[in-house]
Amino acid sequence: MSPNPVRAASPTESARRRAVPVRDFSLVIALAVVWAFFAAMAPEFLGARNLSMLVIELSVTATLALGMLLVLLPGQIDLSAGSGVGLIGGIASVLVFHHQWPALAALAAGSVVGVLLWGAMGRLIIRERIPAFIITLGGLLVFKGLFWLVIRNATVPVAPGGSTNLYSALTTYYLPQLPALCLAGLAVLGLVLAKVRDRRERRRLGLTVEEGELSFLKLFTAAQGILLFVLLTCQFRGVPLPALLLAAVALGVHAITRHTVFGRHLYAVGGNEEAAFVAGVPVARVVTLAFACMGGIVALTGFLQTAYSGASTTTVGDLMELDAIAACVVGGTSLRGGRGSVLGVLFGALLMASLMNGMTLLAVSPELKFMVRGLVLALAVWMDVRLNRA
Amino acid sequence: MIPRIEAHGITKRFPGVIALRDVSFDLLPGEIHALCGENGAGKSTLIKLLSGLHPHGSFEGELLVDGKHAEFRGIRDATRAGVAVIHQELALVSELSVAENLFLGSEPRRGPRIDWTALREQARSLMARFGLDLDPDLPLRELGVGQRQLVEILRALGRDSRVLILDEPTAALSETEARLLHATLRDLRARGVACIYISHRLEEVLALADRITVLRDGETVATLAGDAATAPDLIRHMVGRELSELYPPPPASRPDDGIVLSVRNLTVAPDRSSAPKLHDLSFEVARGELVGIGGLMGAGRTELLSHLGGAWGLRVRGDVLVAGVPTAFRDPGEAVAAGVCLVTEDRRRLGIIPEESLGFNFSLSSLGAVSRFGIVDARAEATRNRTLFDRLRVRAPDLEARIAGLSGGNQQKVLLGRALLARPRLLLLDEPTRGIDVGARAEIYAILRSLAAEGCAIVMVSSELPELIGMSDRILMLHEGRLTAEFDRGEATQEDLLAAAMGHPGRKEAA
Repeated sequence: MSPNPVRAASPTESARRRAVPVRDFSLVIALAVVWAFFAAMAPEFLGARNLSMLVIELSVTATLALGMLLVLLPGQIDLSAGSGVGLIGGIASVLVFHHQWPALAALAAGSVVGVLLWGAMGRLIIRERIPAFIITLGGLLVFKGLFWLVIRNATVPVAPGGSTNLYSALTTYYLPQLPALCLAGLAVLGLVLAKVRDRRERRRLGLTVEEGELSFLKLFTAAQGILLFVLLTCQFRGVPLPALLLAAVALGVHAITRHTVFGRHLYAVGGNEEAAFVAGVPVARVVTLAFACMGGIVALTGFLQTAYSGASTTTVGDLMELDAIAACVVGGTSLRGGRGSVLGVLFGALLMASLMNGMTLLAVSPELKFMVRGLVLALAVWMDVRLNRA
Repeated sequence: MIPRIEAHGITKRFPGVIALRDVSFDLLPGEIHALCGENGAGKSTLIKLLSGLHPHGSFEGELLVDGKHAEFRGIRDATRAGVAVIHQELALVSELSVAENLFLGSEPRRGPRIDWTALREQARSLMARFGLDLDPDLPLRELGVGQRQLVEILRALGRDSRVLILDEPTAALSETEARLLHATLRDLRARGVACIYISHRLEEVLALADRITVLRDGETVATLAGDAATAPDLIRHMVGRELSELYPPPPASRPDDGIVLSVRNLTVAPDRSSAPKLHDLSFEVARGELVGIGGLMGAGRTELLSHLGGAWGLRVRGDVLVAGVPTAFRDPGEAVAAGVCLVTEDRRRLGIIPEESLGFNFSLSSLGAVSRFGIVDARAEATRNRTLFDRLRVRAPDLEARIAGLSGGNQQKVLLGRALLARPRLLLLDEPTRGIDVGARAEIYAILRSLAAEGCAIVMVSSELPELIGMSDRILMLHEGRLTAEFDRGEATQEDLLAAAMGHPGRKEAA
């Protein structure tokens, strides 16, 4: 009826469509540049031992970043995550080392504390309308103080007297080659089945289906990546446990954001909170729940990071919230909410973890490390703003 | 006499809509020229053009200032040419003093600092010149709305404005304040200042204006001499058109009745500390009935709908029964769960999730129906959405198209669809066809009719009188938060509705 009812090809629209691949592509290029640089400066960067460490560091950063994604999607932010990592890890350490709790019970208790604390922050933010920035900035300081109080400014090992337990095993257990290969095979099979099913569904519903060759290429690349990963890590000790935990968290967050009502609500609240409210989305519950999930993930990250350090010390978790936020933004998550994906965050975290790992390997001074981290964060946000304007 | 401002053959297009079509308008020195027309007739657009908000080049036609060709590239150019707009929302700073506000942005300076003595002096002399007696040091927040308006007018005059544009200046004023404003305007007229005056209050317009221009659907319908015109003349010109084929015929019979919505003595305030905006409303809506609610802007129509949908207000008194059950929704989520869906007027702000797809926007209120244990069944969802997509005839490539890229009419269809998927027994629609082209409007009307035929009760707020008359089984008119009249289908003419909207109850008093 109207002469031009569908304006799908307006200039802004086509620019937007273009913007996303540009962003994805630039991230891959940045990764390649960073890796090439470090490999050239320090050949052991690509050695099995270092890669294995990088995988653990990536797992820690990425796990926290995935939690941050859940908070950023509805347009909130969490600055207290780093302090929380220290605090929750510290609580578990103290329970294990000073009170002789079984590791499992200590980890469970820490997780419960995390979920409760973050749920309470979420509630405060949404019910009392205090900006998340302020509440979590307060949390950053309060949790840091609590952390030091809990460990009494001392070093508290994750396992008593050189023994091992579940807590210390978090970053010292490696999955051997055979079961790792079996798992990799299962993962590839799962990916293939999911893809086939997705294509069939889309065809049935009359949606555009991507080229068969393209689908195959994507699957092939992913399968190769997984296999390469397993073979490389097995040259050292095997697949580190944190990588498996990260895979589980990533799958979980992906499922939440893509396949649940809660996930839809996260994007809706971030995309247009008032409209979501009018449409009947329980905004308060969504935000509170997002923070509660973050609490659980902060706890897990706390255990991993503390176990990786071997003990709770006053500096565990320092500035990790900024790496998490940087990983999200580098990976295409919008700080204003409503946009972001698990895959993007994983790549973003890989970039951040590679930078940190490489700089440590090159024995870059801490002064310079701080500045590089800060510049990357600023650069990522600047790109986010630029691409949104385009 | 050379007109102060002249507009020739102005045509202004927005995507999909022509807001002004070959409009001509002129304003003589020392004249009050009123602009009249329904909401959406093009008054605001014309003003924005004259004040530089729609810059030169964004419209066709010519502007002349004092007989000379003028090109306003922005508000600054218009201000320099002596044109000042006094807005509905006053553009003053309430924490600053009267004197500071009068010279905001053009304070007398000594070096880098403000020269306070000179500021006070200039303020005093400016006020004395126009007979306003206020303490220049008084903070603005201590003044009433009427006095603030005078301050804003003086501010414009202090910048040597020779053309004042007043957009609904008396909307927020009391009777006394309005009289003071009118006296000031007459005084200014005697001094050669020209005024464009926009108001819904016809008595005011008739008493004040030297000439009255009526706009309708973006065209100039008539320009009348102020002393010769009468209120019925104006209303006839404003309304003007016959009901067209736009509206589907009313159903021969309604489904069984049964009251879906029953509102009793409802009084609602914005919050605990404010005076009520809705007073003692009582009405009922039956199954399959489409009730239209009319009234001027600010009459409380949107507030009423928002309150019924759980999105606004604190109930002071009264009951709302949905299907016989007393309800007090704390948020729209509860309303949706009870089968009450709200489709708001402001699509961009309160409707769409712009970055997301059409299907995402469709499903937002009804994910529960296609999910189990919180997990969305993508197949069931897509199948259901596809059916609705076809039924509503949304013009878009597919369900994955981004909603922000659709036209207003198609976005509105999606929002209607979102409500429909939640299976409402009561649908609350605020201006469902605002800013939508005629074709899509007819389609939306047809959808509403078929919904009603299926038994859904519909309450529709509209500013468009033909729409109210063409669509409603019953029309309720609101004026300043109160019901002033109720008409059955076929009972009301547009003149009756307009009279009731302006607070003059028509032939039939509200029950």
